[in-house]
Amino acid sequence: MIPHAPILAIVLPLFAAFLMPVVGILARRRGIKRAREWFAIAAVLVELVIVASMIPALREGQIIPGQFPVYELGGWSPPWGINLAIDGLNLFAAVIVAGISALVVIYSFVCMERDHGLDQYYTLLFLILAGMMGVALTGDIFNLYVFFEIMCISSYALVAFRRKWQSIEASIKYLIVSSLGTSVILLGIALLYGMVGSLNIAHLAQKLPLEPTSAIIVPLALFVTGFGIKIAMVPLHMWQPDAYQAAPSAVAALFSGATATIGIYAMVRVVYTLFGAFAIGIMLAVLGLVTMVLGALMALAQRDLKRLLAYSCISQIGYVLLGLGLGTSLGIQGGLFHLFNNAIYKTMLFMIAGAIIYRVGTSNMDRLGGLWKNMPVTAMLFGVGALAISGVPPFNGFASKWTIYVAGIEAGQPVFTIIALITSALTLAYFLKAFNSIFLGQRPKHLSDIKETPLPMLFPIMLLAVLCIVFGVLPQLGIDIVRPAQEAVMNSGGYISAVLGGA
Amino acid sequence: MEFGPGFWGPIIATAALLLITAVAWLILIGGRKITKAKPSAQKLQTYACGETLGAEEIHPDSEQFYSPIRRVFRPFYRYIRPAHTGILNTYLFWVIAGLIIIMISIALALG
Amino acid sequence: MDFNYIIAMLLVALGLYCLLLKRNLIKIIIGLAVLTDGIHLFLISLGYRSGGIAAIVSGEMFSDLPGFAARAVDPIPQALVLTSIVINICIVAFALSLAIYSYRHYGTLDPSKLRRLKE
Repeated sequence: MIPHAPILAIVLPLFAAFLMPVVGILARRRGIKRAREWFAIAAVLVELVIVASMIPALREGQIIPGQFPVYELGGWSPPWGINLAIDGLNLFAAVIVAGISALVVIYSFVCMERDHGLDQYYTLLFLILAGMMGVALTGDIFNLYVFFEIMCISSYALVAFRRKWQSIEASIKYLIVSSLGTSVILLGIALLYGMVGSLNIAHLAQKLPLEPTSAIIVPLALFVTGFGIKIAMVPLHMWQPDAYQAAPSAVAALFSGATATIGIYAMVRVVYTLFGAFAIGIMLAVLGLVTMVLGALMALAQRDLKRLLAYSCISQIGYVLLGLGLGTSLGIQGGLFHLFNNAIYKTMLFMIAGAIIYRVGTSNMDRLGGLWKNMPVTAMLFGVGALAISGVPPFNGFASKWTIYVAGIEAGQPVFTIIALITSALTLAYFLKAFNSIFLGQRPKHLSDIKETPLPMLFPIMLLAVLCIVFGVLPQLGIDIVRPAQEAVMNSGGYISAVLGGA
Repeated sequence: MEFGPGFWGPIIATAALLLITAVAWLILIGGRKITKAKPSAQKLQTYACGETLGAEEIHPDSEQFYSPIRRVFRPFYRYIRPAHTGILNTYLFWVIAGLIIIMISIALALG
Repeated sequence: MDFNYIIAMLLVALGLYCLLLKRNLIKIIIGLAVLTDGIHLFLISLGYRSGGIAAIVSGEMFSDLPGFAARAVDPIPQALVLTSIVINICIVAFALSLAIYSYRHYGTLDPSKLRRLKE
C-alpha cells in the first residue's frame, strides 16, 4: 500500500482541481496544446493507482496503526477525531468511482473539445471526484455530509455547464430538489447528535441500539429520503431525467456510473451499518420494485436517447435496491454485483450517446436512423450494452440479475422475482426500440456522410464492453470482487470494533 | 455457480447460444435460397395522403413504437406519466410526499 | 429553551411552505434559505446552555476541568453550523445566478413556465 493512501485519495483530486486553472493559464502562455487534458488524465490515473493499492492491503488484512484500515486525521483516535475507515464496502465504492472517473476523463479528451471554459470543466470534475472519494472513505457522518455537498454543488454546476436553456432549467430543478434533500440529511444528523452526542459512524452504531426504537424512526426516514433523492428512488426521481438529458454526455456518464454508486453506498452505510435497520429492507425492496417498473415504463415512451437512458438508470437502481432490500447474503451480493455491472454498462451507453451527439449533433431518435452503415463499431458496442443491461447471457447483466432473482425466490418473495423478470423484458423492449431507431431502418439523407466515432472516444467504450463480456462469461470473478463488500454490509460489528478498537 | 436446484455454466450457455444462432442463420439462408422475394415496383412504393414518398423520407415515430404494450399499461400512461409535469413545485411536493411515505413505512416496519 | 426548538420548527415549516406553494424562483430560493436556517437554529440550540461560557480552556480554568466542562457550551454544533452556513451561501449564490440565467432564457421566473423538459 502507498503510505497515507486513504487521505491521499481525497487530497489528490482536491489539489488537482485547484491546480487546473493554473495549468490552463501556463499552457496558454507557453502555447502548449491540451496541457490541461493530459494533466487531468495523469492525475486521475495516479488516483486510480492510489485507490487500487489499498485492495491488496485490505485483502491481506494488513494493519498499520493510525493509518490503515482506520486513518486517524491529526492523530486523534476515534470517536474524538475525524477518521477515515476503510472496509470492503468503502473500497468497493471507491474503486468503482476511481475507475469510472478515469474513463470519463479520457473520454472527455475528445468529447468536450468543442466547448469553451474547459479549465472550469476539469476543476468541477475533480471536485466531484474529491467529494465522491470523501463520501466513500470517511467514517464521520458530518464529514460525509460535507463531502456529499461538495459533490452535489459541483454536479449542479456541471449540469449547467453549457448554459443553454435546457441545461439551466435542468440545473435549477436539480439544485432545489437536491438541496432540499441535503438539508433533510443535515436535520437527520442534528437529531442523531441531539440523541447520542457523537458524529462518528461506528460510535453512533454502537450507541444507537440503546435508544428506544421509536426515536430512530424520524432520523432514519430523513436519511433515506435524502440519499433517495441522489439515487433517484421513486417518488423522488423526477429531477433525474431532466438533469441527465441536459448535462454534457461525459458528465451524464459520470453521474450514472459513479454518483449513483455513491448514493447507494451512503444509503447502505447509513441504513445497515449506522442504524442496523435490516428490518426496513422490505420497504427498500418494495420501493425498488416500484422504481424499476416506473423507470422501465417511462423509458418505453421516450423520444430522446439520453432521456431514455436516464429512465433506464432509474429502473436499474430499482434492481439494486431490490437486491439490497431482500437483506439475505445472496440478495445483498446480487444487489452490489448489479451496482457494479450497472456502473459499467450505463457509463458505456451514455458514452455511446455522447459519441452519436458528437458526430450527428442530436440525440432525438426521430431524427436518427440507419447509422449502422456509418458507425458499425459503435452500433456493435451499443448492441453489447443493450443486451448486457437487459440481462441476456453471456453478458454481465445476466449474472447479477440472476443472482437477484434467485435471492428473491429463496427469501420467499417469488412475486418480487416475477415483477423483476417482466421489467427485464421491458428493458430489452425499449433498448430494441432505441437500437432500431438509431442504427437500423432507413437512413435520412442528411446523415449519409457521418463518420465512425473517433478512436480516443471509442477506447473507453471498448474497454467497458470487454468488461461486460468478461464478467458475463466469468461471473465468479465479479462475485469475488463483490464478496468483501457484501461481508462488510452484513458485519457491522466488525466495522465498529475496527474503528473503536474493540472498546 | 450453484443456485439451489439447477446450475449456471456461463461458457456452456454461451456456446449453446452461439450454436443456436448459427442454426437459425442457416435456416434463414436456406429459406432465402428456396423462395426469393420478387416484389413488383408498385409494392415497394410508400404512399402518404396520395403522395409518393422516397425511402429516405420515411421514419417511424419512435414514441409510437410499442403502442400495443402501452395499451396494456394504459392506466400508467394516462395517470402517472402526466404526473411528471416538469414543474418544480410538483417535484418538491413529491419529495415531501415521499418523505411522509418513507416515514410511515419505516414506522410500520420497525413496529 | 424549548422556545428555540419551536422557532426552529416554525422556520422549517415556513421554508417548506415557500418551497411547495410559491410560484417564483426567487421566493423558492428564499424558502430554501429559511428552511436551512431553521435547521441551523435547531442544531445550535442543541449545544446551548443558558449562562454557559465559551468552550476555550485558558488560564485558571485548567485547575478545574470538570467544573469547566459543566459550564461550557458544546462547541461541536457551532462548528457544524459554521460549516453548513458556508455551504448554504454557495448554494444560494449559485441558485440566484441560475435564476438570472433562466430569466434570460425564458423571460420569466415562474417555475410553472420553466417546463420544456417534462415527462
